[in-house]
Amino acid sequence: MASATTEMAGTRVQPVETQGPPEPRKKGSVPWLKLIALFLGAIVFLFPFYYMVVSALQRDPNPNISGAFPNPGSLSLDNFIAINTAINLARTLLNSGLFTGGVLLGTLVFGGLAGYALAQLHFRGRQALFYTLLLLLVLPFQLLMIPLYVLIARNFGLGDTLLGMILPFAINPTAVFIFRQFFMQLPSEMFEAARIDGASELKILTRVVAPLTRPAILTATLITFIGPWNEFLWPFLITKRLELEPLAVALANYISTVAQRAANPYGTILAGATVLAIPVVILFLIFQRQFIQSSIGSGVKG
Amino acid sequence: MMSSRHALLAVGVVLSLGLAACGGSSLASTGSAKGAVKIWYSNNAEEVKWGDAVVAAWNSSHSSEQVTAEQIPAGKSSEEVIGAAITAGTTPCLIFNTAPAAVSQFQKQGGLVSLSSFSDGNSFIDGRTGNRAAQYKSPDGSYYQMPWKSNPVMIFYNKDIFTKAGIDATNPPLKTYAEFLSTAQAVVSKGGAKAAIWPSPTAEFYQPWFDYYPLFIAQTKGKQLVEKGEPQFNSPDGLAVANFWKQLYTKSLVPKEGAQGDAFATGQSAMAIVGPWAIPVYGGKVKWGVAPVPTKDGMDASAIHTFSDEKSIGMYSSCKNRGTAWDFLKFAVSKESDGKLLDLTGQMPMRNDLASAYPDYFSAHPDYKLFADQAGRSVEVPNVPNSVEMWQDFRAAYSKSVIFGNQSIDEAFKGAADQIKTLVKS
Amino acid sequence: MTVAAAASARASRTRLRSLLGEHPVGYLFVAPFVLFLVGIYAYPFFYAIYMSFFDYFFSAPGAEVVRPFVGLGNYARVLQDPLFHIAIRNVVIFLVINVPLTVAISMVLATALNAAIPLRAFFRAAYYIPYITASVAAVGIWLWLFSGFGLVDKILGPLAPNPSFLINGLLAMPIIALYVTWKGLGFYILVYLAALQTIPKELYEASKVDGASPIQSFFAVTVPGLRPATLLVVITAVITGANFFTEPYLLTGGGGPDNQSVSPVFLIYRFGIEQNHPGYAAAIGLLLAVGVLIISGINRFVLERP
Repeated sequence: MASATTEMAGTRVQPVETQGPPEPRKKGSVPWLKLIALFLGAIVFLFPFYYMVVSALQRDPNPNISGAFPNPGSLSLDNFIAINTAINLARTLLNSGLFTGGVLLGTLVFGGLAGYALAQLHFRGRQALFYTLLLLLVLPFQLLMIPLYVLIARNFGLGDTLLGMILPFAINPTAVFIFRQFFMQLPSEMFEAARIDGASELKILTRVVAPLTRPAILTATLITFIGPWNEFLWPFLITKRLELEPLAVALANYISTVAQRAANPYGTILAGATVLAIPVVILFLIFQRQFIQSSIGSGVKG
Repeated sequence: MMSSRHALLAVGVVLSLGLAACGGSSLASTGSAKGAVKIWYSNNAEEVKWGDAVVAAWNSSHSSEQVTAEQIPAGKSSEEVIGAAITAGTTPCLIFNTAPAAVSQFQKQGGLVSLSSFSDGNSFIDGRTGNRAAQYKSPDGSYYQMPWKSNPVMIFYNKDIFTKAGIDATNPPLKTYAEFLSTAQAVVSKGGAKAAIWPSPTAEFYQPWFDYYPLFIAQTKGKQLVEKGEPQFNSPDGLAVANFWKQLYTKSLVPKEGAQGDAFATGQSAMAIVGPWAIPVYGGKVKWGVAPVPTKDGMDASAIHTFSDEKSIGMYSSCKNRGTAWDFLKFAVSKESDGKLLDLTGQMPMRNDLASAYPDYFSAHPDYKLFADQAGRSVEVPNVPNSVEMWQDFRAAYSKSVIFGNQSIDEAFKGAADQIKTLVKS
Repeated sequence: MTVAAAASARASRTRLRSLLGEHPVGYLFVAPFVLFLVGIYAYPFFYAIYMSFFDYFFSAPGAEVVRPFVGLGNYARVLQDPLFHIAIRNVVIFLVINVPLTVAISMVLATALNAAIPLRAFFRAAYYIPYITASVAAVGIWLWLFSGFGLVDKILGPLAPNPSFLINGLLAMPIIALYVTWKGLGFYILVYLAALQTIPKELYEASKVDGASPIQSFFAVTVPGLRPATLLVVITAVITGANFFTEPYLLTGGGGPDNQSVSPVFLIYRFGIEQNHPGYAAAIGLLLAVGVLIISGINRFVLERP
């Protein structure tokens, strides 16, 4: 049966095969114009991040333009130390991680399953469910906020808990949308062949589909990560216990009260913001390399 | 088989009756129930120190009535958090930064406990706060908040900038509008400041409390924005205050955009209009002096009223052990606790006898004496229905006419007055 | 199993199939998600609909309060509210600027970043970074750039607008739209990057054989090939755009000068949460949702040709 599927897959699944590895460059032709344009664009995009890091490293505040290009002598880690004293960076980072991790788990597992089902499985109510999904994507959080808070804090009794924090974000609807779009790209003949061969849906899922899902999982991870990682309002509402506070909340509280007393208030805030941003950058750098490799190793070379 | 089922049923009935009886008795006496109590206080660093000290002092002598404390931010989000918590029934017994402007809303939600319902409620509050307490009564005559501490708003000025501009830094001319304007002009052109004074020009509903309202209170010798259902700002005095601010904006002495960070602490603004809570912030950064807010033709400092920027303590209806909560509340505003508050934060407890109760403190901190004195003449926001909406509508009119000059002040204020009159009637 | 038994078993399976569809196991797979939607979203959503017909306000559990039924009164008042008109105008300006720019720039950038260029990882990270930066930092930078005392103002010198960008009734919204576009691009580039992996290489080779220039193949192969992704991008951009809140809240301090940069969701926050009139806010929210659904429907119709 395994050979049958790969054979079927191999002859059919070209679409997933190879746009990833880019066309080999002809020797000597570096696309200079493109590079320069990209570089200028990158500066525009990177500059704020650069400015954030530079300001975080400056001992004294400098709201002028020269603040963007400080001399190395005035750099120090004072702001980072200050923010760490005010907010326990390690603990809040851990909480952010737990919160985000829980959301990722829910989204990748249950969202992935749902996206797959919406794309490739035919059952009554499939379209209706998809439209409902779209409808719910439209609703802004501020509209749902208070009833949701009552539901989770009062009715479910999950105030002051990690689960209560995770629940409203547990399955990211955009990720389900992405999974669905992705799975729709896979040709249904592949599945048909496997079913004709007598494979159960579960076997199809684990043997045929799972190896192919890496790009979708990566994309879904990267887009799902940001929400809970930077989320301030909901965790802040659902729990007041300092031990559970994620970094985004701690930073926002810090800004509204304590910041002004620091020697370099703006610098300390940005130091906190830098710490908040770094894990995501690292995650992205690791993952985006996987983007290329995954399409090579998708296991469908005929 | 049958009999054991009957037996189970019987047991069940008895148990539930028993539970109901227990529940019944505790429900009937929530007014005096004792036990563990939870409180929230703001996360202002000094207030945290104070809170921890007071809670520890209480807990050491009340082992069966322990108090646990949590922090919530002092900023604008605190109202959302409290409102949401009221709706979910998750409010603690006491919240130590209940804003007076939000009390009418929380009361409407059924979230607050009337402190007047305690046998010594009225007498305690009146005794402690004196005749300023009346401003904190709700329209039905009861107290739904305990007036706690105020931060009477005054004008801070940067002595260095003033000296550089050639102005006397010990007794600067800031009494009348004319004096203030020319001083403002001088500090911007000669003192090197970006702004003479930099109140936030943004549109949040509470911003008028730190630009228009303090001067309005001073000019009208202590009127609130609305009194007995009638807007008061559409009077010659009210319009005079608005025109004064407008001049500051048109002469570019005050920026129309918000500052990044604290403009006074970073030396970008020569003056600030704020209360004593800011002193730890300014700390070593600025050599500051204090003067009362200006009035049109000048008044003696001992006659000037200002905005109190007060924070109250509320007891919330989700509280089970109200007896303990009330006892702890009285403890937290006792002479001793108030003294600690003054010592640690520099904010003015709402005591009648403030200056005389803590003579040592004030002789050691003469700067704060000014604020204690001013606190005796501070005015609150009106305790009316829809007060948040009222301030929002006022801010819109003020912003349009005074800050951005897109409408005449007379027209804008008249429109706001009409709107507000309907709002506070409900 | 006897033949007869097997036949009847098959018959009942087919009946089940025709009732539930070919793959009833699909129900199992979507069950957690459906549970999530019902449990988390459906309740607040229906509650919002309910609230919109009353002069509603949130109250403590057990409190006895009177909330008069007003039928369509909230909707009528919303439609006449000048603030609502400004908010809708702002959403339109926003979408008109943001959506086309987002689609165009992210598509082009994703294509460029997909090719073999040196430092590709660096470039990809660069374009992604604004997306992951917390709003507080990104807003701070933008303020530093565009405030009346900011960099852009200084560079423009005499050409600088007065009043300056963020307090200028005409310019505030476009600046916000640019800010959000800049900040959100990382997400859409990612979506396009993933989608680009699915375009068969053969199509590019074929077009090259036909003598097409890179630009021509872009329009002939890439753009059509990305159509499903574009649909996702457009719909997501429209939804995110219609729901923008943080910018009026943080960037223009509570709705901007003279309330010029309010957005519908910001109004929901102000009326529903700050002023405790959630019935009114719910009416705004539902009207907004209907509007967005209509726009999304149109987009889908235009983009998803069978």
